[in-house]
Amino acid sequence: MTTARSSVSPTRGLRRWQGRQTQLLAGALAAAAAAYVAWKIGQSPDQALQFTLNGLAVGAVYALLAMGFTLVYSTVWFFDLYYGAAAALGAYGVFYLRSHDFLGGQYAVNSPVVNTVFALVAAGVSGWVLHVVLYRRVRTRANPTVLLSLVGALAAGVGVYTGLLLANPEQLHVMLSPVVGVLVMAAAAVLLRRGMRRVSARADAWPLRALALAVAAAAGAAAGFLLAGAPDASLYLSWGVSCVLAGCVGLALYRGLYVYVRARATSPLIMLVASLGILLTISAFIVIVFRSAPRPLPEALGGSPWSVAGAAIKGFNVFAIGLALAGFAALWLLVKKTAFGKAVRAIGDDEEVSKVVGIDTTVVIAVVFFIGAVYAAVAGILTGHDTAIQPRMGLLLLMKGWIASVIGGLGNINGALIGGFALGLIEQFGIWDLAGEWKDVVAFVALIVFLSFWPKGLLARK
Amino acid sequence: MTALARRAFQPGELRRRAAAGDVKLWASLLILVWAAVFMIWQGLGFAISIGSVFAIWAILAVSLNLVVGYAGLLSVGHIGFFGIGAYAAAILTSNASYEQLRTEAIPTFAWPFFAALPVSIALVGVAAVVVGVVLNRFRDDIYVLVSFGFAIIAFNVFLNGRGLTRGAFGVHQIARPAIGGWELTGELEFLILLLVFLALTVAVSWLIVTSSFGRVLTAIREDEQAIEVFGYRATHYKLAIWVISAMLAGLAGALFASWTSFIDPNSFILLESVLLVSIVILGGLASIWGSLLGAMAFVLLEEGMRFLPFLPAEYVGQARQAVLGILLVLLMLFRPQGLVGRYRL
Repeated sequence: MTTARSSVSPTRGLRRWQGRQTQLLAGALAAAAAAYVAWKIGQSPDQALQFTLNGLAVGAVYALLAMGFTLVYSTVWFFDLYYGAAAALGAYGVFYLRSHDFLGGQYAVNSPVVNTVFALVAAGVSGWVLHVVLYRRVRTRANPTVLLSLVGALAAGVGVYTGLLLANPEQLHVMLSPVVGVLVMAAAAVLLRRGMRRVSARADAWPLRALALAVAAAAGAAAGFLLAGAPDASLYLSWGVSCVLAGCVGLALYRGLYVYVRARATSPLIMLVASLGILLTISAFIVIVFRSAPRPLPEALGGSPWSVAGAAIKGFNVFAIGLALAGFAALWLLVKKTAFGKAVRAIGDDEEVSKVVGIDTTVVIAVVFFIGAVYAAVAGILTGHDTAIQPRMGLLLLMKGWIASVIGGLGNINGALIGGFALGLIEQFGIWDLAGEWKDVVAFVALIVFLSFWPKGLLARK
Repeated sequence: MTALARRAFQPGELRRRAAAGDVKLWASLLILVWAAVFMIWQGLGFAISIGSVFAIWAILAVSLNLVVGYAGLLSVGHIGFFGIGAYAAAILTSNASYEQLRTEAIPTFAWPFFAALPVSIALVGVAAVVVGVVLNRFRDDIYVLVSFGFAIIAFNVFLNGRGLTRGAFGVHQIARPAIGGWELTGELEFLILLLVFLALTVAVSWLIVTSSFGRVLTAIREDEQAIEVFGYRATHYKLAIWVISAMLAGLAGALFASWTSFIDPNSFILLESVLLVSIVILGGLASIWGSLLGAMAFVLLEEGMRFLPFLPAEYVGQARQAVLGILLVLLMLFRPQGLVGRYRL
C-alpha cells in the first residue's frame, strides 16, 4: 500500500526569507507594529483589555479547531476538508435536536444540594485519579524544566480562575463545570479500563478502548453540564449527541472511503480533492435540509456578562475558554501519556513501519478521525451559540483552524493551543483601526507573514 | 496537432477506440450528445443562455487549467482574479447615477467596454504579479491554503471596500460592448462575442502549451529541481503562467460583468472558486479539451436537474454541488487525472 506521503510536511524546505536587508526590514516592521500596538494600549487600556478578552473568547474556538486539525494532520499528512463540514454538522445537529425538543429538557438538575454533593464526589475521585495517573509518572521522569513549566502554567491558570471567581461569585458552577467535566472523564476512563481488563484478556483491543473513551467523554461532558445546572440540560445532551454524531461520520468516512482512496493516492493533493468533494456534498445537503439563511442557536449559559476591570465577557465565552483548556489537557494526556497516543505518533512518523510492528493502523487512524471531528463539532457548536449558524460556516472555520495550526506549528498540539489564542488576539488587535468585517483579511495576512518569516510556526514540531 | 488529427480521423480509428473502451472518447461523446439533445429539445433561446454561461465558465476553466494542469499548482483562488476583472470593468463602464439611489456613491467613468477591457486585464495582471510572488514561495497543501486566502481577501475587499465597489449594493448599469455604433444588446450577438473570446483563450492556451515554454512548465510540474539543474528559473516560469492565467480570468470577469450588467460580491464567493477547481479536475488536468468538456458538463448538470420532477427548483444549485462532490470523490478513487486529462494530481 502506497500512502499519500510525498512530503512529510508542506513547510519542509520552506526557508525564512534570507538576506540581511530582508531580515532587518522584517524586524523593523515587527518592532514598528509592536510599538504601535503598545502605544494604542497606552492610549486606551480599557479598550485593549476588552480586545484581549474578545480575542481569548474567539481564540478558544480557534484553539479547539487547531488541536483537532493538527492531530488528524500529523497522523495522516493530508489536509482533510471534511473537518470543516464536521464543524457545521455539529452545530446543525444541535439546531435539529433543539428544534425537535430533544428529551424535552427532563434531565435538568437545578438543586444546589445535588450539585454540591456531585462536585465533592467528583473532586474526591479526581484527586485519586490524579494521584494514580500523574504522581508516579512525574516522580519517575521528573524533567525539571517540564515540571517547572507545568507547575507554572497550572498556578497561572488557577490564579486567573480564582480571580475571575472572586469577581463573579454567583457564576461558580459555570466556572467549575468544564474542570469537573474533565476530571470525571478521566475517572471514567480509568475505571472502565480497569474493569475491562478484569472482564476480558482482549481488553486492550482498539475498538474497546475507543468505546471506553467515548463513554468517558460522554460521562465527563454530562457531569460538567449537569453541574452548570441550567434548566437546559437537554441542550447540553444535544451537544454531546451531535458531537458524537459528527465524530462517527468522520470515523465512517475514513474507514469506508479514505482508506481506499489513500491506498491508490500518489499525492496528498488527491486526498485533499477527495475530501473537498465530501465537503461540497455535505454542505449542499445541509443547505437542502436547513436552508441557507443564518439561524440562531438558543442562548446557552446566559446571564449578565462578567466584568473584569471595566471590560465585559460573556459567561459563555469563559466556558468556551475553559473548554479549550480542558480539551487541550485531554488531548495532551491522550497523545503523550497513553499507548494509543504512542500508536498515533508512531503512525505519524512512519505508517508502513507502524503496520509492520503490529499496530492496527486503520482502526487507530479511524479513531483519530473521530476525535478530530468531535473537536471540530465542539468548535462549531460554540460558534453557533456565540453568533449564528449558517451552512458556509464550515469552510471558514476550517480555514481558521488551519491558519491557527500553521501559526502555532503544524503537527504540534501545544502549538495548536497557542496558535489558536494567538490568532484570536491578532484578529482582534488587527481590526482595532479597521472595522470588524476585515478580520478574515487580518487572519490571512497574519498567515502569510508567519509563513514568510516563521514558516515552522511558533513551536516547531520536534 | 495535425498528426494527431490525421490519426484520429483514420478509417476505423474511432471505432477501434470505442471498442477498446476509451474513457476519453466515451466521455466526450456523452457530453456532446447530451448538449445537442438539450439544445434541440429546448430551442434556440435556451441554447443561447446556456451557451453564454458555458462560455464564461469555459474561459475560466481553460485559464485555470494552465496553472493547475500544466504547471501543477493547485490554486483555489482563481475567482479572485475573475472578480477583480469584473469589478474593474464594471466600475469603468458603469454609467449609473447613484445620487438618485440614495446609497453609497462611487465615481462614474462611463468608458466604452473595449476601452475598459484592456485596462481591467492589465489591472488583473498587476494584482497577479503581487499575489504570484507571494504564492510562489509555497508548495502543495500550503499553496492551496494561501490561494484560499487570496480568494477570501479578494471577496472581503469586494464586500467591504464600499468606496470602490459599493459593497453588497453592487455596481449597476454596466455597459454592453459596442463595435463602432453597433451596441451588442442582443443575447445572440453577445454569445458570439463570448465565443470569439473563448476561441481566443483556447488559441492562446494551445500556443502556450505546445510551445517550448509549455514544455518547460510540464517539466516543472514533474520535477522542479531537475529542470532548475538545466538552468531554467522555475520561479519565473511559474510566475509567468500564473499572470497569463489570471489575465485570462480577468477577461472572463469583464465579459461576465458586461453580460449580467449588474454585479455584487455574491458572484465571487469562495464556493464558486471551489466549483471552478472541481470543473477543471472533472474535465481533465493538462487538457484544454477536458476543461471545455468539464465546463459543459457543469452547465448541463444544473440545467438537467431542473427537469427532475422530484427536485424543487430552489435546490437545483445545491443538488448540482452534491453531485459534483460525489463525482470528485469517485474520480479521485478511479481516475485521478479527470475524464480526459493527462496528468494525475
